[in-house]
Amino acid sequence: MTRILPVKHQPGLPLDRLIKAEAPGAEAIEMDVLFVGAGPAGLAGAIELARLAKADGSLGDLNIGVLEKAGGLGEHNLSGAVVNPRPFRELFPDVPVEQLPFRQPVSGEAVYLLTEGGSVRIPTPPTMQNHGNYVASLSEIVRWMGGKAEELGVNLFAGFPVDSLLVDGTRVVGVRTTPAGLDREGNPADGYAEPTDLSAKVTVLTEGTRGPLAQAWRQWRGVGSPNPQIFALGVKEVWDVKKPLDRIIHTLGWPLPKDAFGGTFMYPMGPSQVAIGLVVGLDARDAGLDVHELLQKTKLHPLFRSYLEGGELVEWGAKTIPEGGFYALPDRFSGDGLLMAGDCLGTVEVASLKGIHYAVQSGMYAARAAFQALKAGDTGAAKLAAYDEMLRGSYVVADMKKRRNMRLAFKNGFYLGGIKSVLMTLTNGAFPGGQIHSESDAEEPREVRPRTPFVPDNTLTFSKVDAVFKSGNATRDTIPSHLVVGSDVPPEVADFLSHVCPAGVYERVGDELRVNPPNCVDCKATDVVGPRWTPREGGSGPKYRVM
Amino acid sequence: MKIAVCLKRVPDTTAKIVVGGDGKSIDESGVKFVPNPYDEYALEAAIALKEKAGAGETVVVALGTDAAQETIRTALAMGIDRGVLLQSPGSADGFEVAKAIAAELKGQGYDLILFGKMAVDDYNHQVGVMVAELLELPCVSAVSALTVEGGALTAEREIEGGVEQLACQLPAVVTADKGINTPRLPSLKGIMAAKKKPLETKPVSLGAGSITVTSLALPPERQAGKIVGEGPDAVPALVQLLRTEAKVI
Repeated sequence: MTRILPVKHQPGLPLDRLIKAEAPGAEAIEMDVLFVGAGPAGLAGAIELARLAKADGSLGDLNIGVLEKAGGLGEHNLSGAVVNPRPFRELFPDVPVEQLPFRQPVSGEAVYLLTEGGSVRIPTPPTMQNHGNYVASLSEIVRWMGGKAEELGVNLFAGFPVDSLLVDGTRVVGVRTTPAGLDREGNPADGYAEPTDLSAKVTVLTEGTRGPLAQAWRQWRGVGSPNPQIFALGVKEVWDVKKPLDRIIHTLGWPLPKDAFGGTFMYPMGPSQVAIGLVVGLDARDAGLDVHELLQKTKLHPLFRSYLEGGELVEWGAKTIPEGGFYALPDRFSGDGLLMAGDCLGTVEVASLKGIHYAVQSGMYAARAAFQALKAGDTGAAKLAAYDEMLRGSYVVADMKKRRNMRLAFKNGFYLGGIKSVLMTLTNGAFPGGQIHSESDAEEPREVRPRTPFVPDNTLTFSKVDAVFKSGNATRDTIPSHLVVGSDVPPEVADFLSHVCPAGVYERVGDELRVNPPNCVDCKATDVVGPRWTPREGGSGPKYRVM
Repeated sequence: MKIAVCLKRVPDTTAKIVVGGDGKSIDESGVKFVPNPYDEYALEAAIALKEKAGAGETVVVALGTDAAQETIRTALAMGIDRGVLLQSPGSADGFEVAKAIAAELKGQGYDLILFGKMAVDDYNHQVGVMVAELLELPCVSAVSALTVEGGALTAEREIEGGVEQLACQLPAVVTADKGINTPRLPSLKGIMAAKKKPLETKPVSLGAGSITVTSLALPPERQAGKIVGEGPDAVPALVQLLRTEAKVI
């Protein structure tokens, strides 16, 4: 049997591009605090900080900026999503919960074990109970939060990805945006816009999952973690449907092999729309495991098919999820002039399938720490470490600690993992004691197994090309490649990458790897196990409306 | 030189359009709105002309609801100096819109008034030329190249099978076609500056007009394509089908 060790074919992070020992240029825009990424963490942080500054008044008008790589707010945000409203209540005390940007309360829930063609309802694990939570689209939440931030005078810059952190000694002093309007070879072409520098007393990385700057900063400062971060890939579709769904559904089992960790979900988004998705760990043994294809097969299962038939695919998207939990949290969440919050820090709790409310909460704590540091006139590492203390002392890390080994238990197969996870829940994480050690996803060996090609029916199931169209991706064809690919990719690795990538960026043609960078929807899956993703021209990638 | 650019807020061309419950309007929920792409050519032309002249003023005028303020801010972020919003829900009758815009522009000393050649939401191609008529100004429509020198403009228009070149004294109205330029993206500095630029809002009430929309319908769904075969052997069958089924040859 052919085996692949992905890490052997993975290029290193382009550190010299992501971290530059340069002062912001003379023309730099001066900010007090800069959030990199307008997701739930960045926007919550900006809102909280603007409020603190207004209430206190002693610092005058703070210049708060939020940079976002998507052309419009919410267009790169994707989640299931069943949202715990807890930090939204704290951040928006004047907004009644029914006016928060959620689609509907969770009105019922069911968990099924699927077989091909059949399903058995199983008791809902305590960690997955969602009473009091809300089904929502993260794209919509983010757009709504953006409006709130703007009302408070926050500077929102959509369409401006950050190319590099600018550093002075050990201190982050600002950022440089990506240039726009380059041709395929990377030379300025029609519509060229040069990079802009922004200086900041505090830079808050809220880049989202597998953020390149957070990775680079940690590598540069030598900030490790007990376990490496591990990831899952989620592929999601939103459908207009004729038959309303009356409950949230989670499933385990089919169509996944027993040595893959994951499951499917279907959530109602009002009376005539549903979200359906499949999430699978990127440590799956089968080198041919293809999350997009498996989601297509999932839709044909009787449990889901009856809802989708006669309906219409509205939108498609994909995103990785940091699943490593407590032991994958970095040893430090902050440094000189720098804080990290949300998915790029890894604030996701897998057993309850939640991350949005932790992202919001961590963004708020980051804002509080930044504000205190600004007031003290010292934004050095020692002062900003107050954030580490706040977050570690909060329910965010407490929840993650309680479920610290849950995901890791499934490293050795589904059924044994299931038994272990029950014991862990019963003992609040005390079983089995200690830390289960894990490798990074790229270090997990893969096996090439026989597979039958999937042929979409173009009614319920779709090819990757059609899927990317439904993500709204209209990236210009002449853009330079933003993907750092190893020089010599063997054919079986080309095959592997073609299956990992849900968007058809990688194809095996003959024995060669062909790369189609404009297809990329920034899910970061191949960044985890293969070629590196780097920031590209603003506004590239998907244009999600309801993800 | 004083230049006005008239701007409309329209649904993103890639947005999925759903007809509203009344059957006469689109359901705007969840739809992203953008500056009319043809108006972006007009904005770019105005900014570039002022840059070249080294002096003057550019003003963006939009007619729409308060939501159009965001669209005006985009124009200001590109580099337009100030904005005017004529607050109105709009009208299906382009003449009513043209009257309101002409009233705003009249007597303000504009040397050049720029429009996009049409709005991508209603495809009317009307308002620019009607404003010219109402202001008794010369109008060159669907312009794909524009230069201004010594109080006169020269323009090119792409016509069937060729290019037409025209000249005209200022003041004048020009409607822009694609190809005239590549609109710039707002820069970070531009976005910051736009927040401080003046944006005046003036309520206007449009007349009832003579035209009403009676219904809107989506185009029929496209049939799936058909693969006839592969290689030269399939050509006769393809030609046959193009004749008998598609009836295009």
